[in-house]
Amino acid sequence: MDFSEIKEILADAANKQGISHYDVYYVKNNSASAETFKDAISSVSSENSIGLCFRCLKDGKFGYASCERITEEELCALVSKAAENATYIESEDEAILFEGSPSYREVNNKVLPMPSATELCDLALQMQRQTYAESEYVTDGTECSVGATEISIDLCNSYGLTLHKEAYVYSAVSAAVVSKDGEAEDAYEYRLGTSFDNTKELSEKAVSKALSKLGATELPSGIYPIVLSGKQMSVLLDTFSGVFSGKSAKLGLSLLKGKEGEKIAADIVTLVDDPYSECLVAKTPFDAEGVSTETTAIIKDGVLQTLLYDLSTAQAMEKKPTANASKAGYSSAIVISPYYFGIEAGKMSFDELLTRADGGVYVTELKGLHAGANAVTGDFSIESAGFRIKDGQLAEPVKSFTIAGNFYDLLKNIDCLSDQITVGVPGVFHAVGAPDVLLKNVSIAGK
Amino acid sequence: MLNKIIAAEVLAKAMSGGADFAEIFCELTRTQSLSLVDSKIDRITDNVISGVGIRAFKGTQTAYASTCDVTRGGLLACAQRVADVIADGKASVNLSLTERIFPNIHPVEVEPVGADMKRKIDLLKAGCFAAKGYDAHISQVQGTLALVDRTVWIANSEELFTSDRHVRTRMAVSSVASDKGENQSGSCSPGRGMGLEMFEIFKPEDIGAEASRHAMVNLRASYCPAGRMPVAIENGFGGVIFHEACGHSLEATSVGTGTSQMCGKLGQKIAGDKVTAIDDGTMVGAWGSVNIDDEGNPTKRNVLIENGVLKQYMIDRLGSRRMGMPMTGNSRRQDYHYEPTSRMTNTYIDNGPDKNEDIIRSIEYGLYAKKMGGGSVNPLTGDFNFAVSEGYIIRNGEICEPVRGASLIGNGSQILMDIDMVGQNLATGQGMCGSSSGSVPTDVGQPLIRVSSITVGGR
Repeated sequence: MDFSEIKEILADAANKQGISHYDVYYVKNNSASAETFKDAISSVSSENSIGLCFRCLKDGKFGYASCERITEEELCALVSKAAENATYIESEDEAILFEGSPSYREVNNKVLPMPSATELCDLALQMQRQTYAESEYVTDGTECSVGATEISIDLCNSYGLTLHKEAYVYSAVSAAVVSKDGEAEDAYEYRLGTSFDNTKELSEKAVSKALSKLGATELPSGIYPIVLSGKQMSVLLDTFSGVFSGKSAKLGLSLLKGKEGEKIAADIVTLVDDPYSECLVAKTPFDAEGVSTETTAIIKDGVLQTLLYDLSTAQAMEKKPTANASKAGYSSAIVISPYYFGIEAGKMSFDELLTRADGGVYVTELKGLHAGANAVTGDFSIESAGFRIKDGQLAEPVKSFTIAGNFYDLLKNIDCLSDQITVGVPGVFHAVGAPDVLLKNVSIAGK
Repeated sequence: MLNKIIAAEVLAKAMSGGADFAEIFCELTRTQSLSLVDSKIDRITDNVISGVGIRAFKGTQTAYASTCDVTRGGLLACAQRVADVIADGKASVNLSLTERIFPNIHPVEVEPVGADMKRKIDLLKAGCFAAKGYDAHISQVQGTLALVDRTVWIANSEELFTSDRHVRTRMAVSSVASDKGENQSGSCSPGRGMGLEMFEIFKPEDIGAEASRHAMVNLRASYCPAGRMPVAIENGFGGVIFHEACGHSLEATSVGTGTSQMCGKLGQKIAGDKVTAIDDGTMVGAWGSVNIDDEGNPTKRNVLIENGVLKQYMIDRLGSRRMGMPMTGNSRRQDYHYEPTSRMTNTYIDNGPDKNEDIIRSIEYGLYAKKMGGGSVNPLTGDFNFAVSEGYIIRNGEICEPVRGASLIGNGSQILMDIDMVGQNLATGQGMCGSSSGSVPTDVGQPLIRVSSITVGGR
């Protein structure tokens, strides 16, 4: 059954049940991947999936139901279920079905061919050989994988709005295990993009990163200056991105509520959300409610410009919508989230940053953020690893320490930013980037 | 959704390229989630997950393909994708499948997804309103009632044809306590492998009150000091220490590829004498229980560590081939999109010889971790971390003021040896565990234990 047939069945079922306002969110996904172990392919997998969500307005409330089972019977049941679910909703936020923006930006996300299983296996094996060839210390347990995904998303509604976007992405991962003098370490490098070129670079980086971690010592507890790598600053920013959601603020779950126009970060911090950034694999011309997207300045020179909103939250809070309605998957309800969420680069070279952080730590790994960071309070206490900074240079590796602080305070305490952006959280429709960040006086627990 | 005749035909197709084993995993899952915020029902979502995953082996190479097209044509096309990968020979396979019915040891009284909606809303409101009414400082309460009804059919080329049903119910309440521009949070989220009868064990009002009590303790807490100290970790979700520090390192996922620090340690002493640890997928109605695992093997009670000695790994079919050891009923996956791998079910440290009061009394200065958050581990190095969501300083053998924002970090092999006291109040807590085969429900558990020294991350 193709999407036009599905739409007809849903429209017919809606009509029979007296539902005049609804939208349909339809996601198709094809993917394939190959993985290695030792000198052979260990696993090849492929996925063809379809999922759709029917959302209808009944008595001013939205009801949701979704499925992967595309039969006429299931689609009719979906409409009934969504209509029934709407009747139990008590939230007083106005449910808004969007008629459509005057125009949508053209985006040309690159169309990529789906490689065959043989091509993927050959590529994965080539990467595996490259990774082993990087060092005599690379050992079994090292795994490389490559994959390709096609995602297509359709959004249509009872106003006649019909929107379509698609994305193609290739992924490559080198996960290297090294062993030397009885000590083992691992590290991985991965890339999402539109080509499989230069996978050797991934192997090189993964192996050199794993080797650099060997012989790590523990750090005495204390207060240190730290340079948080651009990658880890991205990860931290992603973890706390929910505090910029207008809905979180409305519910009292973000301390940024009512802070628009106020200084919430150091003067050097500018944060944008850009659906058309080159840092995304695919650009996004419309959000999950069908609103045309735009670039939004969130923090400018330390001052909060706006939070992120969907239609109903913006209406309830009397703010301008920012077209940030999103769905994590076809079945999820609408939430608010950014596209490319990035702190802009500063002016200082990485070496200058190290000089200023002399005696401190360059933090290159943060682990367990899902548990060690609390988005409601902003507090974090996170297992970390990195390198000592001595005489303005990177020195020996250190691990098994925590850095602790509060995200809201951290924004204000950023001392310097490097002139280099790292997209530490790469993704298809969502990514996060940041420069290296110098923070003074960070509490570290170690030995 | 899957019948024996089509299953045999599909398995034969999957093996036609020369595979030595093939398996079909077919799933029909109905989920429902009710959420409440600001004292009002905010969202109700229903979802139907439906599809099939087909896997074939040649030695330790696997091919996996999944599709949501469960027609005969869809299944055969999916099997062909698998056969195209394992295609270095030709096999003509003629299978006759035998249906095996495993006893259902997790009976369900009130099927949750189809139950009366008003009753479910009342349950959720009872929990959330109790949380809101707990204290005037409780500024926000969010609640979720998550319900799952999953039927799986599994067939394989060893002539197995079987099915199972997994029903799960969970209520999660999280409270925010606010004072002077500061927010603190607390939560309570029990779940069971049962229907709405779960609420005869857990009163919704108690769940809500516990979430708010937790938030109020944190509102009055100061930051946890940093440093290395003895820590007493309470029962229930405290068992996440074993889950992270050791459990993942005993899964064939890492042991079978030689990337676990527990490789080759069977029969060796890896933990303190008082530590006996068990993974038991047969606990009646527990969050991580199933009758059969996602490869169709009955789950078991596996003693992993006995009096400190490593006895057993947790092994799936691929792990079994890699390691040359029998399967243990631990193969799991989030849904048919994922190839299964070895996972924990309900994993806990068993009761020990020490009295709980003696454990607290034994600590001159340290931390009492009453409630734990989640954590993570690198099985290769054994380095782990987890968050303390409710903690207190112990001074001169007494539990004193509350502290917040703490995490515990360490190394699995070291920490297991440092568990030197094990109490007697075993209880479990529920979590969702993430790994290469997706997110699966697991119970963690333990009685109160003492770790003689661990790094406490604070400030």
